[in-house]
Amino acid sequence: MTTLLLALLGCYAAGIFLPLCLPGRPRIQNVIANGLAGAAGLLGVILSLMGLLSAQPLLLSVPSTLPFLTFAIQIDPLAAFFVLTISLAGLAVSIFALGYLVEYSGRRSMGALGALYNGFLLSMTLVVIADDGFFFLVVWELMSLVSYFLVVTEHEKAEVRYAGFFYLIMMHVGTAFIILTFLIFFQEAGSFSFEAFRHPEQPLPEGMRTFAFLLALIGFGTKAGIVPLHVWLPYAHPAAPSHISALMSGVMIKTAIYALIRVYFDFLGGQFPWWWGFVILVVGAVSALLGVLYALMEHDLKSLLAYHSVENIGIILLGIGAGMIFQAFGLKDFAALGLLAGLYHTINHAMFKALLFLGAGALLSVTHTRNMEEYGGLLRRMPWTGFFFLIGAVSIAALPPTNGFVSEWLVFQTLFLSFHLPALFLKLMLPIAAAMLALTGVLALACFAKAFGISFLAQPRSGHARHAEEVSPAMRIGMAALAGVCVVLGLAPMVVVPWLDRITEPLIGASIQGKVLALDGWALAPVNVEFSSLSTPALALMLAGLAALGLVLAWLFGGRITARYYKTWGCGLNLTPRMEYTAIGFVQPIKRVFSTLYRPTVKLETEFIEESRYFAKRRWFEFHIEPVFQRYLYDPVVAFFSTMADRLRFIQSGSLHLYLTYIFVTLVLLLLIAM
Amino acid sequence: MQQMPLQIGSQMVDLCAALLLLTCFAIVAQRRLTACVDLFALQSVFLAATAGLVAFLTGIHHIYVAAALIVVIKVIVIPRILKQVIERLNVSRELVMNVNIPTGLLICGILVILSCFITQPIIPIGFLLTRDSLTIALAIVLIGFFTMIARKKAVTQVIGFLVMENGLFLGATAAAYGMPLIVELGVFFDVLVGALIIGIYTHRLQDAFDSVDTSKLTVLKE
Repeated sequence: MTTLLLALLGCYAAGIFLPLCLPGRPRIQNVIANGLAGAAGLLGVILSLMGLLSAQPLLLSVPSTLPFLTFAIQIDPLAAFFVLTISLAGLAVSIFALGYLVEYSGRRSMGALGALYNGFLLSMTLVVIADDGFFFLVVWELMSLVSYFLVVTEHEKAEVRYAGFFYLIMMHVGTAFIILTFLIFFQEAGSFSFEAFRHPEQPLPEGMRTFAFLLALIGFGTKAGIVPLHVWLPYAHPAAPSHISALMSGVMIKTAIYALIRVYFDFLGGQFPWWWGFVILVVGAVSALLGVLYALMEHDLKSLLAYHSVENIGIILLGIGAGMIFQAFGLKDFAALGLLAGLYHTINHAMFKALLFLGAGALLSVTHTRNMEEYGGLLRRMPWTGFFFLIGAVSIAALPPTNGFVSEWLVFQTLFLSFHLPALFLKLMLPIAAAMLALTGVLALACFAKAFGISFLAQPRSGHARHAEEVSPAMRIGMAALAGVCVVLGLAPMVVVPWLDRITEPLIGASIQGKVLALDGWALAPVNVEFSSLSTPALALMLAGLAALGLVLAWLFGGRITARYYKTWGCGLNLTPRMEYTAIGFVQPIKRVFSTLYRPTVKLETEFIEESRYFAKRRWFEFHIEPVFQRYLYDPVVAFFSTMADRLRFIQSGSLHLYLTYIFVTLVLLLLIAM
Repeated sequence: MQQMPLQIGSQMVDLCAALLLLTCFAIVAQRRLTACVDLFALQSVFLAATAGLVAFLTGIHHIYVAAALIVVIKVIVIPRILKQVIERLNVSRELVMNVNIPTGLLICGILVILSCFITQPIIPIGFLLTRDSLTIALAIVLIGFFTMIARKKAVTQVIGFLVMENGLFLGATAAAYGMPLIVELGVFFDVLVGALIIGIYTHRLQDAFDSVDTSKLTVLKE
């Protein structure tokens, strides 16, 4: 295993340096960078499966000359699971990038892009296997910085620079909170090693534990994109090249989920009051609902997907939060179920969100626009991309038999099990969270009906879409791989669940493998079979059977099939793309229902012909929703700091000598005070 | 037997340190830029001598390396770079200063007294034979800093900065027989790169403002 790990790290390292050594040959650089990243992804998959299977975690430690820093690595089942997620996504995305980056060749430095890409994957892998607080912080910060440089790839555009700047600031604020969290642990443990964090010399006082809980939630929550810290996602994800967005949205934000589980269940030993879990549950429910509501109003395909990441992080946190509540009351089986559901959704979301972003990248590469209103009719022109995108859309909308359905079902079941809880308040609150999750699921379905329908069906709405062609084989293979994983994860939960159980067992202290599988492993059950059970293979068979039945019935009782090719009937008019349902039009009902949240501003202007006001010459329709969080939460903070900075401006005279004098006087005064 | 050379050695170190301080005052009083650079080189020679003495007396070998590096970088390389800059820019004298020379010397005197005052309670705690030179080290740092404030030409500000660095090195030697070699190497590298960058910056300054007077930078403010 150690050899495998070293080979994996070596592949990434070579992927960083080799492309830089071959300037002026973009094609070779592209192949080398993505080939090595793909190879490392393959090694990562094998390594992580071995890590999940092995009884003993792999430990590796290299001391450094810097104080406090040790390059310590540990691959326990939890780390192995996240390595698996990163490597699977990395493998598929690397194949996609082979084709996708051809478009960038010549416009961008392939060497730099390839090196940063490998560096990004490497830093994410190191984040989840780091076993030392200081080392973790270093690679965490590295991950943020590398992804910043990838976000600003197209830095000549002002909005991309803004997105990058915004992203960088949010990440730094988050990291500040994370550093504080680790310092609290360091204070008690006297060392930065994770082992010392787990078993401090004296246990943390209660107040400090709560403080650490909140700091970790804010710090890692910024990366994960929980509401209200999610504001950077819809800027940063669309700005990056699509294969990077796929990794950022699918995988990078998951490292925060990893860290939260690591801190709460591992460092704090799974000992916490129930209200911690309740806070996570509320954050999850709010993120899920608001994420999907904002996603509905987006017509930029990549922004839409970015908001869906907020939603899915919310769903993951609902599972984990419910697990924490059960854990606090000692109901270990249910706690394990909640955590397992959260982890299952983590890998599912990584797969289908990466797939959808790759699909969006494929559309972007042929149409050169992210605006859905300019798509349309693409299914006929890009059947493969359309098919894979549809699989992703079905998964994210949690329809059976795909993977999104299974994990959301598990989250639901965990929430419904709340009647086992002793507290009446929680008995009431968990079903409410389940109701919010149900609403979220329905809205997500509406959103992807919109995304798929507007983009792929009907007639092309613009010249870009009219001239679209299917993308290159490499890009199709990349998407096909992820679509395949989505289907497999959906059809074979009985294989996945025992693997996940190996992760939750050491964290919770209870194995539920035997209790979750029913009917010889062909069905899933939330701990007790009488409550409910689910078998996705059976469900898939039933769906397929129903479809077949319909065909058979049509064949038996239907009339003779006569094909007649003619235009769709349009009341005698010629159908044009201007008559189609627009993306804005599609979501108007939802906008009306939730208008208190959106606070929409609609502007309609009409220019009439001179002779009569009954005939309009031209109309403008503008529609905006209010960015509530930015306006009421972020703008005041920014305004406060700007005013403070303006007030302090007078000391900035611009004179070098004055600045030197400031420093000098401070130094002398400090020396005198130190006396 | 052991006691005598150590006492003499200690006094030798103090003597060298005092010479360092003396060159500081000379730099403050000197208007001609080339002379300032020469004085800095001389100061670095004294610093190298101090370091060599300490290495000899204590038997810590890596201080020899540091001393050799001082000779190479601060006595030979940096003065040469600075002289090239001066020659190319054609500035030989500094006529206008923020603080005139007599006042400057007085202030430097006050700074020496101040550093005496500050280090007085610390010195008896130490047990190294170099501990007395801590006072002088602090004084050199403060005077170097003061030079940066008092002078307007970028070149003299560089010299002020380098004098500060010399003071820091002396301080490190006095308080702890020098820093670990790796840190020392890093610092030398920084100083060299710093001198190079400031050399280039002075050129830019000359191009942009037709002068190396850093007060002109105030126009950069909005």
